[in-house]
Amino acid sequence: MTDRKPPHTTLQKLLSRFHFGITLFAVALSGLTILLAGVTALRGYADRNLELAAQLGAYGVEPALVFKDPQAAREGLAALTRMPGIAHLRVLDDRDRLLTEWRSPESDPAPLLTRIFFPEPFVLPVRRNGSRIGTVEIWGDSSTLIDYVRIGLLAGLTCLMITALGTIMLARRFEYELVKPLNEIATVAHDVRLHRRFDKRVQGLGIAELDRLGSDINALLDELEGWRGHMEDERAMLAHQASHDTLTALPNRAAFDEQLAARMKRAAQGGTGFALLFIDADNFKAANDGFGHAAGDAVLVALSDRIKSALRKDDFAARIGGDEFVVIVEPVEARSDADDLADRIRTAVADPIDLPGGESYRAAISIGVAVYPDDGDDGQALLTAADAAMYANKLSHRT
Amino acid sequence: MLASLFLIGATFATPQMSVQAASQMIVEDGAGGMTGAVNRMIGGIISYVTWPDRAQATPLTLCRIGTPRLAENIAPAVPGIPSVTVRRTTASDAIAKGDCDILFLGRMPVADRSRLIEWVHRRAVLTLTDDDPSCLYGAMFCLAGGSARLSFAVNLDAIARGPLRVDPRVLKIGAAP
Repeated sequence: MTDRKPPHTTLQKLLSRFHFGITLFAVALSGLTILLAGVTALRGYADRNLELAAQLGAYGVEPALVFKDPQAAREGLAALTRMPGIAHLRVLDDRDRLLTEWRSPESDPAPLLTRIFFPEPFVLPVRRNGSRIGTVEIWGDSSTLIDYVRIGLLAGLTCLMITALGTIMLARRFEYELVKPLNEIATVAHDVRLHRRFDKRVQGLGIAELDRLGSDINALLDELEGWRGHMEDERAMLAHQASHDTLTALPNRAAFDEQLAARMKRAAQGGTGFALLFIDADNFKAANDGFGHAAGDAVLVALSDRIKSALRKDDFAARIGGDEFVVIVEPVEARSDADDLADRIRTAVADPIDLPGGESYRAAISIGVAVYPDDGDDGQALLTAADAAMYANKLSHRT
Repeated sequence: MLASLFLIGATFATPQMSVQAASQMIVEDGAGGMTGAVNRMIGGIISYVTWPDRAQATPLTLCRIGTPRLAENIAPAVPGIPSVTVRRTTASDAIAKGDCDILFLGRMPVADRSRLIEWVHRRAVLTLTDDDPSCLYGAMFCLAGGSARLSFAVNLDAIARGPLRVDPRVLKIGAAP
């Protein structure tokens, strides 16, 4: 991965961002729901509280309203003035004239909260035997709510943080579990591409989808490996075809030139000596004409087989023309070593050859020997010398 | 309720402290202002008193004895309770007939008053007066008036002696300092 350009974003970052978004959304949604439910419940309690206070006040001020006694009304409200959460109290008589009024000496800790929760006063008519004799009005304030709201907000915030942290940790774990196997696949692909490690395979990852991907990649690698082997075989075959004669499977002229050059170089550097045999079939044209081309081919194949069978370990035979063969004889201590090989080849060739038409053909060959470096110290000279020796040998047969 | 028990308990322990003047009703200006205030106050007191063994809807009889000092005419204005029949009578007549639920004691001879108070003992009869501002002569509720104010006091001893039940909130108003 080091040789790649830095990526725009990693999967891990992407997943992390995605997870964080989802987590935030879920936590915010649940938090909002809890907050709304809490506020609704709180409002309900606050309203109920005010209603209870109003009922208590109505009970307390009822005789005072009957007797229209402001002092008694104040005393009737005394219990309420000691209750927290009440900002303002008013008692009106049956004709809505103010009988008594009380305001909390303490200031409202959170006027906004008061406006939200107690936008208007709680109004309770005071009844005596069924007829309305007055009204109690109560304005609440936030002093009882502020602690609740404060603790609620703090707890909510703490919960939010704990949830967020927990979810982020879970997300990290999930990312790790997903990114690790993906990295494994990437490593395999990378090795194959960069190091030609076609034997590498993706191991079991434990996640169904990734395992499927892994097995597909493995199958692809199998195919790649197969193709690669096939291609190598093909290339070897092509190379063989380029350097060998198709009929006799002996190396051709090009392969011989290369081999000769290599051997001369080795010999010049102080290696063992070698000799060259030039072999030519006698009257091959007549055999070809007399028995047909198929028979000529069979003769050539048989000749090459018999030459090969006579060779020693390091000797090298090639077919360089229609019925012309050359053999590099190595090692050669003296000219007689080359002559010995020429004799063995003559003996091997002397047996009759069975032709495809059922006839039997007795082949004859001429062999010329040239020794390096006595008869020539370059390839062309050596080959010319061997050719000349062969020609002399051929003439000696005719006579 | 606890407050009333405490108050009643306190009346036995310290009888001289049991009479309190407290309630201060605002009296409207005008000719009938004081009369109206008195009648509203009497009505209010009546509405907070419960007679034992008596149906809610039965009309009450108020016997007016003597001459009222604060009001020219006694006609209780009672919000949402059965009507009150007012009858002028004398002390001996009231005792002889014995059908009064409420006695309103105006100005009268001291002997008559004492006789009536004595007779009311342990009877379910409510006693009111407007001729005893310090509430010392045995009436249960005593009305007292100033130029623009009307108040009532409660004699807890007198209430404690009889079987009537009075709403403790009213006792508290009457007993407030």
